[in-house]
Amino acid sequence: MQRTLVVDDSPTIRRMVMASLKDVCPGGFAEAGSGLEALEQLALAPFALMILDLNMPDMHGLEVLKFVRSHQKYRDLPVVVLTTRGDATSRGEVVKEGASLYLTKPFVPLALAEQVRSLLNGGARPADDVDRNPHG
Amino acid sequence: MANGDDEFISGFMDDYFEECDEHLATVRQILLSLEGVTGVQPIAPSILEEMFRSFHSMKGISGMVELRDAEMLAHEMESYLRALRQQEAILTPAGVDALVAGVDALERVIVARREKHPGPPIDDVKARIAAVIPHGLPAAAVSAALAESSREVTPEWIVTFVPSSELSERGLNVDTVRARLRQHGTILQAVPKILPTGVAFEFAFAGDLDEVTREAWTSDGITVARASAPLPAVETSVELLEGTGDPKGIGLSPTVASASHYVRVDLARLDDLMRMIGDLVISRARMADTLARVERRVPAIEWREVHENSAAIERQLRDLREGVVRIRLVPVGEIFRRMPFVVRDLAKQSGAKVRLILEGQETEIDKYLIERMMDPILHIVRNSVSHAFEIPSERQAAGKPEEGTLRLSASTAGESVVIEIADDGRGVDVEAVTRRARAAGMSVPEGPLDSAALLELLCAPGFSTRDETDRGSGRGIGMAVVKSTIQQLSGTLALDTEPGRGTRFTIELPLTLSITEAMIAVVGDRTFAIPQGSVREVIEIDHVSLRSIEAHEIVPYRGGVLPVLRLSKLFGITEQARRSLHAFVIGSGLEAVAIAVDRITGQREIVVRALADTMIKVEGIVGATDLGDGRVVLILNLQALARMARRDLGGANAAAQPRSA
Amino acid sequence: MSDHYILFSLAGTTYALRTRDVTHVEMIDQITSVPNAAHFVDGVVFSRGQVVPALNLRARFGFDRAPCDVRTRLLVVQNDGRSVGLVVDSAREFLSIPSSAVQPPNQALAGISGQYIEGIANLNDRLVLILDLAEVLNFSQSVPAA
Repeated sequence: MQRTLVVDDSPTIRRMVMASLKDVCPGGFAEAGSGLEALEQLALAPFALMILDLNMPDMHGLEVLKFVRSHQKYRDLPVVVLTTRGDATSRGEVVKEGASLYLTKPFVPLALAEQVRSLLNGGARPADDVDRNPHG
Repeated sequence: MANGDDEFISGFMDDYFEECDEHLATVRQILLSLEGVTGVQPIAPSILEEMFRSFHSMKGISGMVELRDAEMLAHEMESYLRALRQQEAILTPAGVDALVAGVDALERVIVARREKHPGPPIDDVKARIAAVIPHGLPAAAVSAALAESSREVTPEWIVTFVPSSELSERGLNVDTVRARLRQHGTILQAVPKILPTGVAFEFAFAGDLDEVTREAWTSDGITVARASAPLPAVETSVELLEGTGDPKGIGLSPTVASASHYVRVDLARLDDLMRMIGDLVISRARMADTLARVERRVPAIEWREVHENSAAIERQLRDLREGVVRIRLVPVGEIFRRMPFVVRDLAKQSGAKVRLILEGQETEIDKYLIERMMDPILHIVRNSVSHAFEIPSERQAAGKPEEGTLRLSASTAGESVVIEIADDGRGVDVEAVTRRARAAGMSVPEGPLDSAALLELLCAPGFSTRDETDRGSGRGIGMAVVKSTIQQLSGTLALDTEPGRGTRFTIELPLTLSITEAMIAVVGDRTFAIPQGSVREVIEIDHVSLRSIEAHEIVPYRGGVLPVLRLSKLFGITEQARRSLHAFVIGSGLEAVAIAVDRITGQREIVVRALADTMIKVEGIVGATDLGDGRVVLILNLQALARMARRDLGGANAAAQPRSA
Repeated sequence: MSDHYILFSLAGTTYALRTRDVTHVEMIDQITSVPNAAHFVDGVVFSRGQVVPALNLRARFGFDRAPCDVRTRLLVVQNDGRSVGLVVDSAREFLSIPSSAVQPPNQALAGISGQYIEGIANLNDRLVLILDLAEVLNFSQSVPAA
C-alpha cells in the first residue's frame, strides 16, 4: 500500500493531519518539513496522496506543486493543498496549477477526513473547503 | 464546533507548547539582537523573514488548538512583519518595543493555557502593535532601510546532492545536507532538478570548502563544482532566505535546525518522576520497617543478605534521586535573559540611565524554582529600575557615575542558591515607607528601623505601591507575594539598604527536594513525624517514675531530673492509656526537656512539604508529609513546641531541681 | 461587561467566586486536622501534590457545621500567591454575571458573613452573594480559637 506524504513546516500541524486521516489513509504516512524535503521524498518512493502546505520556509508550496505537475511521473498524484486562511495565494491559482483539493487551516479534523476520503474515492470537487470558521 | 474536537485538540497540546516554545525563543533572540540597531544598521531581510515565519506558524497552530488570544496576537505581529518585509514600513525602536510587548503577552497567554488559568487581557498590546503597522502608501525613502538582497553575492560553488534510499538510511537527506552547508557558508539558491533516476538538488553556495572536505563529501552523495557564472535565472527557483548563517548587517547565532544531543522534557513529567521517587523512598522505608519486624524469624546468614540488598536499594535510590534532581537543574540565565528588555523599557520611562550586569547565569537551579521565581525577581527588578535610580543629573550631583548599575547575580552556597539583586541607587526611603505604612493602618514602632523591620513593612499585605505601572503584564504582584512565594519554597528574603548608596535584596532558596530522616510517633489517634536531626535521645518513661511538681511533670534522668511535656496536652489530644510513655529528649543541660508521646513507632525517610500559609502557621508544626497510605502526617518542630510550652505553662524549667551535668 | 463565576451553596444560600480565582474543585478525601489552628481551619489536605489549608466556610461565617456528604466540595482558590481550599456544601454551577446585575452589599446583611461579601447579584429574583475572597482569607492571629 502506498503512503501519504504530509508536507508542512509545523510538526504540530503534521501530526494533527496524520491523526485526522489515519482511517482514511491505510498505507501510512511520511512527513516532510520543507519543499525540498517533499521533493526528495517524492523522488525516493511512490505515494498515494500528498497533503501540501503552501507557506514553507524554503520553497513556496505552489512551486512544489508546479514542479510536481510538470513531470510525467507525478502528474496523477492527488494533491490536497492545505493552507492558512487569508493566504495571498488564491484558490483559483492553486487549482490552476493542478491541486486536487484546496482546503484551509484551521481545519476541522472530521471534515478534512471526509473530503480526503471523497477525493480518494474519486468524488470531491477542488473547490471544497473544510475551513473551520469560514466567516472569519 | 463539535465537542469531539476538544478531545482531539487535547492530544496535541504538548506538541503545541513545544513548537511555540521554539518559535518564541527564536523571536526573542532576534529581538534582543535588534536592540540598539534599529535605524542604525540595515536589517537583513532574512531576519524579518524568520520572525515573520515564526509568527505565521504560531498563528496557524494557535488557530488549530483554538487558543484565540494567541492566534490574534500572532496575527497582529505577523501583519507587522509582513509590512516590514514588503518594505511598507521601517523597523523603529517603537516597533521593536511593540513586538517585545507582543511576544511577552503571547507567551503569557500560552502559559495561562498550559497552567489552565485565564490569560491576561491583550487588547492594549494588540492595539500597540496595530499602531505601528502603517496603512496607506509606503514612503519612498523606506526601501533604503533594508540591506541589499543576498542575490547580489556571486556564488563560489555549485553543490549537487542526489538523494537515495541508502543515503537516507545513513541520515543523509536534503535537510541534513542543507544544514551541513550552512555551517560552512551561505546558500544563495537551491534548485531541484529532475533526473531520469529521480531528483537532484543544486545549491548555489558561497563559503569555504577545502579539497579534503569536498573529497569526503562525494561519498555522501554530494558533488561540488566551482561556480562559473552569476546566479542563473531558473524557472523553478527557490527563494532562499538562508539568513541563519551570518546575514549582512546583524551577527546572529545560527538557529540549530538539526537534531542535537538534547531532549526536551515537559516539566510535568519531571514532576511525576520526582513524585515517583518520593513514593519509592516511602515504600523502601516501609519495607525496611517490615524487614526489621521479620528479622528474628530469619536465620542470621540469610538475614545479612536481605539486609545488604535493602541497603543497596537505599543507596541506589539516593543516587537516582540525585540524578533526577540534576535533570531538573536549569541555568538561572533563563530568568536573567528577560531582564535586558525589562530594564530598557522601564529605564526609558523613569528617565534613568541603567546598566545591567548579570552574573552567574550558568548557576543551575531547579526548573520548578525558576518558574516560581520568575515573577518575584521580575518584580524586584522592575521596582528597582522604576524607583531606585536617580536621574543622571541627580547622580552626578551626588558624585556617582551618571549611569546607574543594577547587578543581578546567582551563586550556589552548599545546599542553597543565592540570588542577589543590587543597585547603586538612592536606597529605600525609610521615611516614605513608614509614612505609607502608617497611612495604611499598620503599626510601626517608633525609632530607627533596621533592615529586617523595613522588609517586613514592605512585604506586608496591603502595603504594595499601586502606582507601579506593570506594562504589558497581566498580573501585578506586590512584595507580599514575593515574600510568600519565597517562603513557600522554604527560602528566605533579606534586605540591605543605605540611603544614597543603594539597595540589595538577597534571596536564598534550598536547592533540592527536601527528604529527611524522621521518627514516627503516635499520640492518641494521631500520627506525627519528627525530623531526626533535632532529637538527642529517645527514652521510655514508666508512669510510676513520673513526679508532679505544681503543674509540671518531671522524671529522673541520668542522676538528675528532666521536665516532661506531653504532646497530648499541647495539642489537646486524648492519649491512649498505657503503662509507659515514649519521649524525645531535646536540648542539653539545663535546657533539656522530654517531649512525650504514646509510642514511637519507627523511623523512616520522609518527603517534606512546607506548610507556609498563615492560616496554618501553628507554632511547632513545620510541614506535612505523606506516609504512603494517603494519610497526611504533620511534621513537628520539637524545639518550637518546647518554647511554646515554656511560655504557656509558665516555664517548666523554673520548677525543676538543679541536676548534675 | 460580565465576569465568569462559579456558584456554590452554603447553608441554603448561593454564593459566587470569580472563576479566575478558583484553581479547581475537588471532592474531599481526607483532611488532617492541625492542632491549635483557628476554629474555622479544618486542617490541611493534599491537593495536586501541594499541601493546602482547608478552611471551613460555614465555620468562618459563623454558621453551624454540617457533616460531610457526597455533595461537599473543596474549592481550591488562589489569592495573593496563596493556595487555599474552601469547604462548601456543594458547587456545581458556572455562570456569567453581568456587572449591571451586581449591587454593593447593603447594611441589611447582618452578621459575620456581611464583611465577606463584596456584592449581591440579582438574577431573575435569584440572589447570589459574591464573595470578597481577600477578606475571607484575611486571617490574623488575633482571632481567638473558638
